[in-house]
Amino acid sequence: MIAYLHFLVTGTYVWLGWFFVVAGSLFFLVMTATECWLAFTCRSWFDADEPMRLAWGMIAFAALARLAGVVIREVADGRLPWGPVQLRPLFGGVFANLGQMGLFVGGPLSMAFLAIGLGRVLQTQRRFWLRGPLTLGDRVLLVLIIAFSVSQLVINLSLLGGHPSPGAVLLWLSDPLLALLLIEAVLVRRAVVRIGQGLLAKCWGMFVMAIVTTSLGDAAIWANNHDLLSKRLTALSWYIWFVAAAAFASAPAYQLAAISIVQEPNLRQPASR
Amino acid sequence: MSLLSRFKLRFRQGRGRLAASEPILLEAASASGLNDLTERLNRWGRLWSPGEDEPEHTHARTIVTRRLTGWMERCFGEHMPASLNGAGDPISLASSMPVLTAFLGRRATRELSRRVLRDV
Repeated sequence: MIAYLHFLVTGTYVWLGWFFVVAGSLFFLVMTATECWLAFTCRSWFDADEPMRLAWGMIAFAALARLAGVVIREVADGRLPWGPVQLRPLFGGVFANLGQMGLFVGGPLSMAFLAIGLGRVLQTQRRFWLRGPLTLGDRVLLVLIIAFSVSQLVINLSLLGGHPSPGAVLLWLSDPLLALLLIEAVLVRRAVVRIGQGLLAKCWGMFVMAIVTTSLGDAAIWANNHDLLSKRLTALSWYIWFVAAAAFASAPAYQLAAISIVQEPNLRQPASR
Repeated sequence: MSLLSRFKLRFRQGRGRLAASEPILLEAASASGLNDLTERLNRWGRLWSPGEDEPEHTHARTIVTRRLTGWMERCFGEHMPASLNGAGDPISLASSMPVLTAFLGRRATRELSRRVLRDV
Protein backbone atom coordinates (compact mmCIF):
# COMPACT_ATOMS: atom_id res chain seq x y z
CA MET A 1 0.00 0.00 0.00
CA ILE A 2 3.02 2.29 0.55
CA ALA A 3 3.79 2.05 -3.18
CA TYR A 4 0.19 2.94 -4.01
CA LEU A 5 0.21 5.89 -1.57
CA HIS A 6 3.45 7.08 -3.19
CA PHE A 7 1.71 6.91 -6.57
CA LEU A 8 -1.27 8.87 -5.20
CA VAL A 9 0.97 11.59 -3.77
CA THR A 10 3.55 11.92 -6.56
CA GLY A 11 1.60 10.64 -9.57
CA THR A 12 4.63 8.66 -10.74
CA TYR A 13 4.75 4.90 -11.28
CA VAL A 14 8.35 4.43 -10.03
CA TRP A 15 7.60 2.79 -6.66
CA LEU A 16 4.50 1.05 -7.95
CA GLY A 17 6.39 -0.38 -10.90
CA TRP A 18 9.23 -1.53 -8.66
CA PHE A 19 6.76 -3.12 -6.24
CA PHE A 20 4.95 -5.10 -8.92
CA VAL A 21 8.13 -6.13 -10.77
CA VAL A 22 10.04 -7.36 -7.70
CA ALA A 23 7.67 -8.10 -4.79
CA GLY A 24 4.69 -8.85 -7.05
CA SER A 25 6.57 -11.33 -9.23
CA LEU A 26 8.02 -13.06 -6.18
CA PHE A 27 4.61 -13.18 -4.48
CA PHE A 28 2.89 -14.76 -7.50
CA LEU A 29 5.70 -17.24 -7.94
CA VAL A 30 5.59 -18.33 -4.28
CA MET A 31 1.77 -18.41 -4.17
CA THR A 32 1.34 -20.48 -7.35
CA ALA A 33 4.15 -22.86 -6.33
CA THR A 34 2.54 -23.33 -2.89
CA GLU A 35 -0.88 -23.83 -4.45
CA CYS A 36 0.54 -26.40 -6.85
CA TRP A 37 2.28 -28.34 -4.08
CA LEU A 38 -0.79 -28.27 -1.81
CA ALA A 39 -3.13 -29.36 -4.61
CA PHE A 40 -0.91 -32.31 -5.57
CA THR A 41 -0.70 -33.27 -1.87
CA CYS A 42 -4.52 -33.19 -1.66
CA ARG A 43 -4.70 -35.40 -4.77
CA SER A 44 -2.34 -37.93 -3.17
CA TRP A 45 -4.80 -38.42 -0.28
CA PHE A 46 -7.43 -39.88 -2.62
CA ASP A 47 -7.16 -43.37 -4.13
CA ALA A 48 -7.35 -43.91 -7.88
CA ASP A 49 -11.01 -45.03 -7.80
CA GLU A 50 -12.23 -42.04 -5.75
CA PRO A 51 -14.05 -39.25 -7.63
CA MET A 52 -12.27 -36.41 -5.83
CA ARG A 53 -8.88 -37.69 -7.03
CA LEU A 54 -9.76 -36.53 -10.54
CA ALA A 55 -11.07 -33.25 -9.16
CA TRP A 56 -7.89 -32.54 -7.21
CA GLY A 57 -5.76 -33.80 -10.07
CA MET A 58 -7.36 -31.27 -12.41
CA ILE A 59 -7.10 -28.50 -9.80
CA ALA A 60 -3.42 -29.41 -9.33
CA PHE A 61 -2.82 -29.26 -13.10
CA ALA A 62 -4.58 -25.88 -13.17
CA ALA A 63 -2.17 -24.68 -10.48
CA LEU A 64 0.78 -26.14 -12.37
CA ALA A 65 -0.33 -24.34 -15.55
CA ARG A 66 -0.68 -21.09 -13.59
CA LEU A 67 2.83 -21.57 -12.16
CA ALA A 68 4.22 -22.34 -15.64
CA GLY A 69 2.43 -19.24 -16.97
CA VAL A 70 4.06 -17.04 -14.30
CA VAL A 71 7.52 -18.50 -15.01
CA ILE A 72 7.13 -18.18 -18.81
CA ARG A 73 6.02 -14.56 -18.48
CA GLU A 74 9.00 -13.79 -16.24
CA VAL A 75 11.31 -15.38 -18.81
CA ALA A 76 9.58 -13.50 -21.63
CA ASP A 77 9.99 -10.19 -19.81
CA GLY A 78 13.71 -10.85 -19.58
CA ARG A 79 13.84 -10.57 -15.80
CA LEU A 80 16.12 -13.60 -15.54
CA PRO A 81 19.94 -13.50 -15.71
CA TRP A 82 20.08 -14.80 -19.30
CA GLY A 83 17.66 -12.15 -20.57
CA PRO A 84 14.71 -12.55 -22.99
CA VAL A 85 14.21 -15.89 -24.78
CA GLN A 86 12.84 -16.12 -28.31
CA LEU A 87 10.14 -18.77 -28.86
CA ARG A 88 9.48 -18.56 -32.60
CA PRO A 89 11.99 -21.27 -33.64
CA LEU A 90 10.39 -23.72 -31.15
CA PHE A 91 6.69 -23.43 -31.94
CA GLY A 92 6.69 -22.27 -35.55
CA GLY A 93 4.55 -19.20 -35.03
CA VAL A 94 1.54 -20.55 -33.08
CA PHE A 95 2.24 -17.88 -30.50
CA ALA A 96 3.44 -14.43 -31.48
CA ASN A 97 5.93 -14.41 -28.59
CA LEU A 98 6.82 -16.15 -25.35
CA GLY A 99 4.68 -13.73 -23.35
CA GLN A 100 1.59 -14.73 -25.35
CA MET A 101 2.35 -18.38 -24.69
CA GLY A 102 2.68 -17.61 -20.96
CA LEU A 103 -0.69 -15.85 -21.03
CA PHE A 104 -2.31 -18.86 -22.70
CA VAL A 105 -0.76 -21.43 -20.33
CA GLY A 106 -1.55 -19.39 -17.19
CA GLY A 107 -4.94 -18.28 -18.55
CA PRO A 108 -7.22 -20.44 -20.73
CA LEU A 109 -5.28 -23.69 -20.23
CA SER A 110 -5.30 -23.32 -16.45
CA MET A 111 -8.99 -22.29 -16.51
CA ALA A 112 -9.90 -25.38 -18.56
CA PHE A 113 -8.27 -27.68 -15.99
CA LEU A 114 -9.98 -25.82 -13.13
CA ALA A 115 -13.37 -25.99 -14.88
CA ILE A 116 -13.06 -29.78 -15.20
CA GLY A 117 -11.97 -30.08 -11.56
CA LEU A 118 -14.80 -27.92 -10.21
CA GLY A 119 -17.24 -29.77 -12.48
CA ARG A 120 -16.24 -32.96 -10.73
CA VAL A 121 -16.68 -31.29 -7.31
CA LEU A 122 -20.18 -30.16 -8.32
CA GLN A 123 -21.01 -33.67 -9.54
CA THR A 124 -19.96 -35.12 -6.17
CA GLN A 125 -21.88 -32.43 -4.27
CA ARG A 126 -25.00 -33.21 -6.29
CA ARG A 127 -24.63 -36.91 -5.49
CA PHE A 128 -25.00 -36.08 -1.80
CA TRP A 129 -27.66 -33.38 -2.22
CA LEU A 130 -25.31 -30.75 -0.80
CA ARG A 131 -26.23 -28.06 -3.29
CA GLY A 132 -28.99 -25.74 -2.22
CA PRO A 133 -31.61 -24.33 -4.62
CA LEU A 134 -30.64 -21.30 -6.72
CA THR A 135 -32.02 -17.98 -5.56
CA LEU A 136 -33.43 -15.29 -7.85
CA GLY A 137 -30.16 -13.38 -7.51
CA ASP A 138 -28.19 -16.45 -8.63
CA ARG A 139 -30.42 -16.88 -11.67
CA VAL A 140 -30.06 -13.22 -12.65
CA LEU A 141 -26.27 -13.48 -12.25
CA LEU A 142 -26.17 -16.63 -14.41
CA VAL A 143 -28.20 -14.94 -17.15
CA LEU A 144 -25.86 -11.90 -17.05
CA ILE A 145 -22.76 -14.11 -17.27
CA ILE A 146 -24.16 -16.05 -20.23
CA ALA A 147 -25.25 -12.83 -21.98
CA PHE A 148 -21.80 -11.29 -21.47
CA SER A 149 -19.94 -14.36 -22.78
CA VAL A 150 -22.23 -14.56 -25.86
CA SER A 151 -21.61 -10.85 -26.59
CA GLN A 152 -17.84 -11.38 -26.28
CA LEU A 153 -18.07 -14.39 -28.60
CA VAL A 154 -19.91 -12.29 -31.20
CA ILE A 155 -17.27 -9.52 -30.95
CA ASN A 156 -14.43 -12.07 -31.30
CA LEU A 157 -16.06 -13.84 -34.25
CA SER A 158 -16.32 -10.53 -36.09
CA LEU A 159 -12.52 -10.13 -35.63
CA LEU A 160 -11.82 -13.43 -37.40
CA GLY A 161 -11.94 -11.60 -40.75
CA GLY A 162 -8.71 -9.80 -39.83
CA HIS A 163 -6.83 -13.15 -39.78
CA PRO A 164 -5.57 -13.03 -36.18
CA SER A 165 -2.69 -15.29 -35.08
CA PRO A 166 -3.58 -18.74 -33.64
CA GLY A 167 -2.19 -17.60 -30.28
CA ALA A 168 -4.56 -14.63 -30.19
CA VAL A 169 -7.53 -16.88 -31.06
CA LEU A 170 -6.52 -19.27 -28.25
CA LEU A 171 -6.48 -16.34 -25.82
CA TRP A 172 -10.09 -15.53 -26.77
CA LEU A 173 -11.04 -18.75 -24.96
CA SER A 174 -10.38 -17.03 -21.63
CA ASP A 175 -13.73 -15.17 -21.64
CA PRO A 176 -16.01 -18.19 -22.20
CA LEU A 177 -13.91 -20.28 -19.80
CA LEU A 178 -14.10 -17.59 -17.13
CA ALA A 179 -17.87 -17.44 -17.68
CA LEU A 180 -18.04 -21.22 -17.20
CA LEU A 181 -15.98 -20.92 -14.01
CA LEU A 182 -18.29 -18.16 -12.73
CA ILE A 183 -21.32 -20.38 -13.34
CA GLU A 184 -19.60 -23.18 -11.43
CA ALA A 185 -18.67 -20.71 -8.68
CA VAL A 186 -22.34 -19.69 -8.29
CA LEU A 187 -23.34 -23.36 -7.94
CA VAL A 188 -20.47 -24.17 -5.53
CA ARG A 189 -21.44 -21.14 -3.42
CA ARG A 190 -24.92 -22.60 -2.96
CA ALA A 191 -23.34 -25.65 -1.31
CA VAL A 192 -21.15 -23.43 0.90
CA VAL A 193 -24.21 -21.45 2.04
CA ARG A 194 -26.04 -24.69 2.74
CA ILE A 195 -23.40 -26.44 4.85
CA GLY A 196 -21.87 -23.60 6.89
CA GLN A 197 -18.32 -22.54 7.72
CA GLY A 198 -16.32 -25.74 8.13
CA LEU A 199 -12.92 -26.40 6.56
CA LEU A 200 -14.29 -27.91 3.34
CA ALA A 201 -16.86 -25.13 3.00
CA LYS A 202 -14.00 -22.63 3.33
CA CYS A 203 -12.03 -24.57 0.69
CA TRP A 204 -14.89 -24.26 -1.82
CA GLY A 205 -15.52 -20.69 -0.69
CA MET A 206 -11.91 -19.81 -1.53
CA PHE A 207 -12.38 -21.15 -5.07
CA VAL A 208 -15.47 -18.96 -5.42
CA MET A 209 -13.55 -15.94 -4.12
CA ALA A 210 -10.60 -16.65 -6.45
CA ILE A 211 -12.85 -16.94 -9.51
CA VAL A 212 -14.83 -13.82 -8.64
CA THR A 213 -11.68 -11.74 -8.04
CA THR A 214 -10.14 -13.04 -11.29
CA SER A 215 -13.31 -11.91 -13.09
CA LEU A 216 -13.08 -8.51 -11.38
CA GLY A 217 -9.44 -8.20 -12.46
CA ASP A 218 -10.39 -9.08 -16.05
CA ALA A 219 -13.27 -6.60 -15.92
CA ALA A 220 -10.85 -3.91 -14.69
CA ILE A 221 -8.50 -4.65 -17.63
CA TRP A 222 -11.45 -4.42 -20.03
CA ALA A 223 -12.63 -1.14 -18.45
CA ASN A 224 -9.10 0.29 -18.59
CA ASN A 225 -8.77 -0.67 -22.28
CA HIS A 226 -11.98 1.28 -22.93
CA ASP A 227 -10.81 4.29 -20.84
CA LEU A 228 -13.57 3.75 -18.30
CA LEU A 229 -11.30 3.83 -15.23
CA SER A 230 -9.24 6.67 -13.80
CA LYS A 231 -5.49 6.14 -13.36
CA ARG A 232 -5.96 5.80 -9.59
CA LEU A 233 -8.60 3.10 -9.93
CA THR A 234 -6.56 1.30 -12.58
CA ALA A 235 -3.52 1.16 -10.30
CA LEU A 236 -5.70 0.01 -7.41
CA SER A 237 -7.26 -2.73 -9.56
CA TRP A 238 -3.83 -4.32 -10.08
CA TYR A 239 -3.92 -5.38 -6.41
CA ILE A 240 -6.91 -7.65 -7.12
CA TRP A 241 -4.52 -10.25 -8.53
CA PHE A 242 -2.85 -10.62 -5.12
CA VAL A 243 -6.21 -11.50 -3.56
CA ALA A 244 -6.98 -13.97 -6.36
CA ALA A 245 -3.59 -15.69 -6.03
CA ALA A 246 -3.93 -15.93 -2.24
CA ALA A 247 -7.47 -17.34 -2.53
CA PHE A 248 -6.36 -19.94 -5.08
CA ALA A 249 -3.58 -21.06 -2.72
CA SER A 250 -5.87 -21.08 0.34
CA ALA A 251 -8.40 -23.49 -1.21
CA PRO A 252 -6.19 -26.63 -1.22
CA ALA A 253 -4.76 -25.51 2.15
CA TYR A 254 -8.24 -25.78 3.71
CA GLN A 255 -8.84 -29.20 2.10
CA LEU A 256 -5.51 -30.42 3.44
CA ALA A 257 -6.34 -28.98 6.87
CA ALA A 258 -9.60 -31.00 6.88
CA ILE A 259 -7.70 -34.18 6.01
CA SER A 260 -4.86 -33.47 8.47
CA ILE A 261 -7.11 -32.61 11.39
CA VAL A 262 -8.49 -36.14 11.26
CA GLN A 263 -4.96 -37.58 11.44
CA GLU A 264 -3.80 -35.27 14.24
CA PRO A 265 -3.05 -37.64 17.18
CA ASN A 266 -3.16 -35.03 19.96
CA LEU A 267 -6.38 -33.38 18.86
CA ARG A 268 -9.39 -33.79 21.14
CA GLN A 269 -12.65 -35.18 19.80
CA PRO A 270 -14.82 -32.25 18.75
CA ALA A 271 -17.58 -31.42 21.17
CA SER A 272 -20.93 -31.07 19.46
CA ARG A 273 -23.52 -28.62 20.60
CA MET B 1 -2.42 -61.19 -33.51
CA SER B 2 -4.49 -58.22 -32.38
CA LEU B 3 -4.08 -56.59 -28.97
CA LEU B 4 -7.44 -57.96 -27.80
CA SER B 5 -6.55 -61.54 -28.83
CA ARG B 6 -3.24 -61.26 -26.98
CA PHE B 7 -5.07 -60.08 -23.89
CA LYS B 8 -7.55 -62.97 -24.12
CA LEU B 9 -4.69 -65.48 -24.48
CA ARG B 10 -2.88 -64.02 -21.43
CA PHE B 11 -6.15 -64.04 -19.48
CA ARG B 12 -6.77 -67.74 -20.32
CA GLN B 13 -3.19 -68.63 -19.35
CA GLY B 14 -3.56 -66.75 -16.07
CA ARG B 15 -6.86 -68.44 -15.33
CA GLY B 16 -5.29 -71.87 -15.99
CA ARG B 17 -2.54 -71.11 -13.52
CA LEU B 18 -5.06 -70.05 -10.91
CA ALA B 19 -7.11 -73.22 -11.33
CA ALA B 20 -4.01 -75.40 -11.11
CA SER B 21 -2.72 -73.82 -7.91
CA GLU B 22 -2.97 -75.69 -4.61
CA PRO B 23 -6.15 -75.09 -2.55
CA ILE B 24 -5.55 -73.13 0.66
CA LEU B 25 -6.30 -75.13 3.78
CA LEU B 26 -7.86 -73.21 6.63
CA GLU B 27 -8.43 -74.45 10.14
CA ALA B 28 -11.87 -74.00 11.66
CA ALA B 29 -12.04 -71.46 14.49
CA SER B 30 -13.11 -72.61 17.96
CA ALA B 31 -16.74 -72.16 18.99
CA SER B 32 -15.88 -69.58 21.66
CA GLY B 33 -13.90 -67.54 19.11
CA LEU B 34 -16.82 -67.56 16.68
CA ASN B 35 -19.26 -66.48 19.38
CA ASP B 36 -16.93 -63.66 20.37
CA LEU B 37 -16.64 -62.53 16.76
CA THR B 38 -20.42 -62.70 16.22
CA GLU B 39 -21.02 -60.68 19.37
CA ARG B 40 -18.50 -58.04 18.31
CA LEU B 41 -19.91 -57.79 14.76
CA ASN B 42 -23.45 -57.43 16.08
CA ARG B 43 -22.35 -54.72 18.50
CA TRP B 44 -20.60 -52.77 15.75
CA GLY B 45 -23.54 -53.27 13.41
CA ARG B 46 -25.88 -51.69 15.95
CA LEU B 47 -23.51 -48.75 16.35
CA TRP B 48 -23.23 -48.22 12.61
CA SER B 49 -26.90 -47.62 12.02
CA PRO B 50 -29.64 -46.74 14.48
CA GLY B 51 -32.11 -49.56 14.93
CA GLU B 52 -34.12 -50.81 17.89
CA ASP B 53 -33.26 -49.07 21.16
CA GLU B 54 -31.50 -51.38 23.56
CA PRO B 55 -30.46 -49.68 26.81
CA GLU B 56 -26.85 -50.93 26.78
CA HIS B 57 -26.26 -49.54 23.29
CA THR B 58 -28.09 -46.23 23.64
CA HIS B 59 -25.24 -44.60 25.54
CA ALA B 60 -22.61 -45.79 23.03
CA ARG B 61 -24.73 -44.65 20.13
CA THR B 62 -25.20 -41.23 21.73
CA ILE B 63 -21.42 -40.85 22.06
CA VAL B 64 -20.91 -41.91 18.43
CA THR B 65 -23.59 -39.49 17.22
CA ARG B 66 -22.15 -36.62 19.23
CA ARG B 67 -18.63 -37.23 18.00
CA LEU B 68 -19.75 -37.67 14.40
CA THR B 69 -21.77 -34.48 14.51
CA GLY B 70 -18.74 -32.64 15.89
CA TRP B 71 -16.48 -33.95 13.12
CA MET B 72 -19.05 -33.10 10.46
CA GLU B 73 -19.36 -29.56 11.78
CA ARG B 74 -15.60 -29.16 11.94
CA CYS B 75 -14.86 -30.61 8.50
CA PHE B 76 -17.89 -29.45 6.48
CA GLY B 77 -19.84 -26.83 8.40
CA GLU B 78 -22.32 -26.28 11.21
CA HIS B 79 -25.34 -27.00 9.00
CA MET B 80 -23.93 -30.20 7.52
CA PRO B 81 -25.49 -32.71 9.98
CA ALA B 82 -28.93 -31.14 9.41
CA SER B 83 -28.59 -31.07 5.63
CA LEU B 84 -27.38 -34.68 5.59
CA ASN B 85 -30.24 -35.94 7.74
CA GLY B 86 -33.15 -33.84 6.56
CA ALA B 87 -35.71 -36.26 8.02
CA GLY B 88 -34.46 -35.50 11.55
CA ASP B 89 -32.97 -38.95 12.16
CA PRO B 90 -29.84 -38.94 14.33
CA ILE B 91 -26.62 -38.98 12.36
CA SER B 92 -25.00 -42.41 12.16
CA LEU B 93 -21.79 -43.91 10.84
CA ALA B 94 -23.71 -45.56 8.01
CA SER B 95 -25.29 -42.29 6.87
CA SER B 96 -22.17 -40.14 7.21
CA MET B 97 -19.39 -42.39 5.96
CA PRO B 98 -20.17 -42.09 2.20
CA VAL B 99 -20.05 -38.28 2.22
CA LEU B 100 -16.95 -38.22 4.43
CA THR B 101 -15.23 -40.75 2.17
CA ALA B 102 -16.13 -38.75 -0.93
CA PHE B 103 -14.71 -35.45 0.32
CA LEU B 104 -11.95 -36.50 2.73
CA GLY B 105 -10.79 -39.67 1.04
CA ARG B 106 -10.90 -43.28 2.15
CA ARG B 107 -7.75 -43.18 4.30
CA ALA B 108 -8.74 -40.09 6.26
CA THR B 109 -12.27 -41.41 6.79
CA ARG B 110 -10.93 -44.72 8.08
CA GLU B 111 -8.90 -42.81 10.65
CA LEU B 112 -11.91 -40.66 11.51
CA SER B 113 -14.17 -43.67 12.10
CA ARG B 114 -11.43 -45.20 14.25
CA ARG B 115 -11.39 -42.04 16.37
CA VAL B 116 -15.16 -41.88 16.57
CA LEU B 117 -15.37 -45.47 17.80
CA ARG B 118 -12.42 -45.18 20.19
CA ASP B 119 -13.31 -46.33 23.75
CA VAL B 120 -16.92 -47.01 22.77
